[in-house]
Amino acid sequence: MSPAIFFQKLRFRLAANAFTLLWNHAWWRIVIMGYCCAMLWGFLFLLSSHGFHELKTRWNIPLQQSLIDLPFDMFFFTLTILLIFSTGLILYSSLFAGRESEFLLASPMPDDHVFSYKLQGAIAFSSWGFLLLGSPILIAYGLEVRDGAPWYYYVAMPLFFLGFLLIPGYIGAIACLLVVNILPRHRKHFLVGSIVFAIGLAIYWSVSWYQEARAFGLGSRPWFESFLNELSYLGGRLVPYHWMTRGLRYAAIGRAEAMLYNLALVWSHGLFLYVVTVWLATKLYRRGFNRIASGGALRKKYGGHWMDNTLTALLFPLDPQTRMLIVKDFRAFRRDPAQWAQILIFLGMGSMYFLFMRRFYESDLRYSFRIGISLLTLIATGFLMCAYTGRFIYPMLSLEGSKFWILGLLPLDRSRLLVGKFVFSAIGCLIAGEFLIVFANYMLGMPWLIVVVHSVTIALLGLGFSALSVGLGACMPNFRETDPSKVAIGFGGTVNLIVGLMFLTMIVVLLPMPLQLFYVQSENPILSPDMVPWYYWIGIALGVSVGVGTIIAPMRAGVIALRRMEF
Amino acid sequence: MIELMHVTKSYGNKTAVDDLNLSIRGGEMFAFLGPNGAGKTTTIKMMCGLLFPTIGTVRIAGFDIATHGQDARQRISYVPDTPFLYEKLTGREVLNFIADMYHMPREKAKRRIDEMIELFNLYLFVDDLTQNYSHGMRQRTVFAAALLHEPDVLIVDEPTVGLDPRSIRLLKDTLRNETKRGATVFLSTHSLDIAQELSDRIGIITQGRLIGCGTLDELRKQAEIHGNLEEVFLTLTEKEGPAPLTPDGSEQLVQIQAQG
Repeated sequence: MSPAIFFQKLRFRLAANAFTLLWNHAWWRIVIMGYCCAMLWGFLFLLSSHGFHELKTRWNIPLQQSLIDLPFDMFFFTLTILLIFSTGLILYSSLFAGRESEFLLASPMPDDHVFSYKLQGAIAFSSWGFLLLGSPILIAYGLEVRDGAPWYYYVAMPLFFLGFLLIPGYIGAIACLLVVNILPRHRKHFLVGSIVFAIGLAIYWSVSWYQEARAFGLGSRPWFESFLNELSYLGGRLVPYHWMTRGLRYAAIGRAEAMLYNLALVWSHGLFLYVVTVWLATKLYRRGFNRIASGGALRKKYGGHWMDNTLTALLFPLDPQTRMLIVKDFRAFRRDPAQWAQILIFLGMGSMYFLFMRRFYESDLRYSFRIGISLLTLIATGFLMCAYTGRFIYPMLSLEGSKFWILGLLPLDRSRLLVGKFVFSAIGCLIAGEFLIVFANYMLGMPWLIVVVHSVTIALLGLGFSALSVGLGACMPNFRETDPSKVAIGFGGTVNLIVGLMFLTMIVVLLPMPLQLFYVQSENPILSPDMVPWYYWIGIALGVSVGVGTIIAPMRAGVIALRRMEF
Repeated sequence: MIELMHVTKSYGNKTAVDDLNLSIRGGEMFAFLGPNGAGKTTTIKMMCGLLFPTIGTVRIAGFDIATHGQDARQRISYVPDTPFLYEKLTGREVLNFIADMYHMPREKAKRRIDEMIELFNLYLFVDDLTQNYSHGMRQRTVFAAALLHEPDVLIVDEPTVGLDPRSIRLLKDTLRNETKRGATVFLSTHSLDIAQELSDRIGIITQGRLIGCGTLDELRKQAEIHGNLEEVFLTLTEKEGPAPLTPDGSEQLVQIQAQG
């Protein structure tokens, strides 16, 4: 049996057994997860259909022309960046830190096949969400373009996606191999080189943008288009995300030859990168494994880091035990690059949104649209906080895993474990969320009442998401799993995400949305609070009550579950 | 069958294994002893190709692990101190998986799997998912998987931890039978009783250096005492003195507290 078939057989067997186990013991979990995915897919499809329809009919934007390339380019560009980082990070964890890798490397399996097996898993794991988000948008586009795209558009779409996912996936894998082989021995050189490179790039772009801004006017549509053109200049016809965009557009308007050309471009480059990656893996995988294992000293001196000391000082109002638990969680988080690197990616993508989109819309759209954008920004920030707490905070208690008995035997009230994690989460959410929302509203020129209501909303969301993730994490722990991302996408993590999204919807509907609709209708940015009808205040009070209840209830449930927990 | 020639392994500026020379013949049971952090697991990982020697050569069955690793690993079975099992496979599926991994012919694989199930008494749980196994059940399954393809070299790291007396007896009988079959067994352990009872030769490593190697009698001569292996071990490791201080003045990672 060839190693490739051998590993596919293993993957199938593992998946089949896991599915059977879940189906036999908790079939309703599969049903709920399937239902949630279907709901999300349907919602995105309806939203996209409506959006494309509006663009076509109300704005008279021809969906078949190259103007539509712009948003698709941005979408696939974002996808490329996220996939490169997420595949690289997941691969790093599974190739160099997993026990399965050690087991397989001690076996007679060829290194490149072990690498490919893990890489396929990493790409699948990091990209299924994008398929879920991307497919409804593209199907909606196909239905709205002209009188509907030809049949082969829908056939080509998964082929484009599959081929495209290979490119960022393999780039991430190559980056992972190179970093692992270079970094442990040349950490300082690598860091200095990266910083110099980043500064050089930042200076180049700053000068370039400054010149563009002077020529076109900062924030204007020509300036933004010029910026995108510059991106095109960096890649132009050579960038894979543009092949995707053009190929799918050509398929949608019935130009089969042009579609096939772009499809061939995507696949040929994906497969070429596959060959390069596997060749590199034969040379560098085992070498990298050795370097990771033996790169540092036998003994490292830990503790006394300035970040830990700063956090300890900042938490002075708390009792020493809770403070110690928070600093412990922070320290574990800080020492895991796979964790904080994902947050950096989150923040990086968020920064792009705040830096570019606001300017783009501000100069052209009316006040009512700016109100709408501020609400969308609030929802996006809430969604980011929900994703952050679900991905990073929810698994924290589960990750105590086999070590939980240490915490269980500590001479402290177990509720402090939860309070510590809650404070740790809430601090991060509140600082980042409040900063983003106040900054965005300031740039959009929102009235102070909206800024205050948004700040209160973000505070409630940050505290509520933290309480949900910590509380539900204690109610539904998974002590067997050591990978936080797998805890986050398990049943408890999915429940947490759904409840979080429901909470976000309720808070947004009750608190900021009525007020913003009122401002839109009045078209008056200088309304004072006493001009706001009394029933809006009832909605706000109700929203605050829901928020406070969502903070208290899951924390209480979590404390009760934790006190009853056997270990 | 196993040859380590001038093998040194460094972690940064710390030396975990220092100029280790070892030659173990086919059919020999070799016990590898040493305090925690002495370099035992590092040595084993170099023998499996998981770590590369900084200096020196490791040969398994005549194959240089650095250049012909796949050929060497085809002849090795490695049972680590915390063995890995796929949680979502049954014990039988694990055994089939190993048979496929070592390209065993279908008929032979089936026969050997049945033999292993009988030898390690896996009947009661072999068709359950391994995630439900106790420590002893896992260890028996891991050994069944390790011996399935009749390896020329069996490398075992701390095999008796957490096992009940019956399982330890079974393990000892199995290891003896393997050497009778002609396999080389490299046994890293803290259990001096088992090392004394089973092994043909014993190697003692501390602070990365092999400070003694030979039969128990030869080690007694070296230690200049006539006691059991425990006394010999403590005497030899004590002679090496306490672990040196690191440049920042703190103690080295681990040192043995010799008594008496």
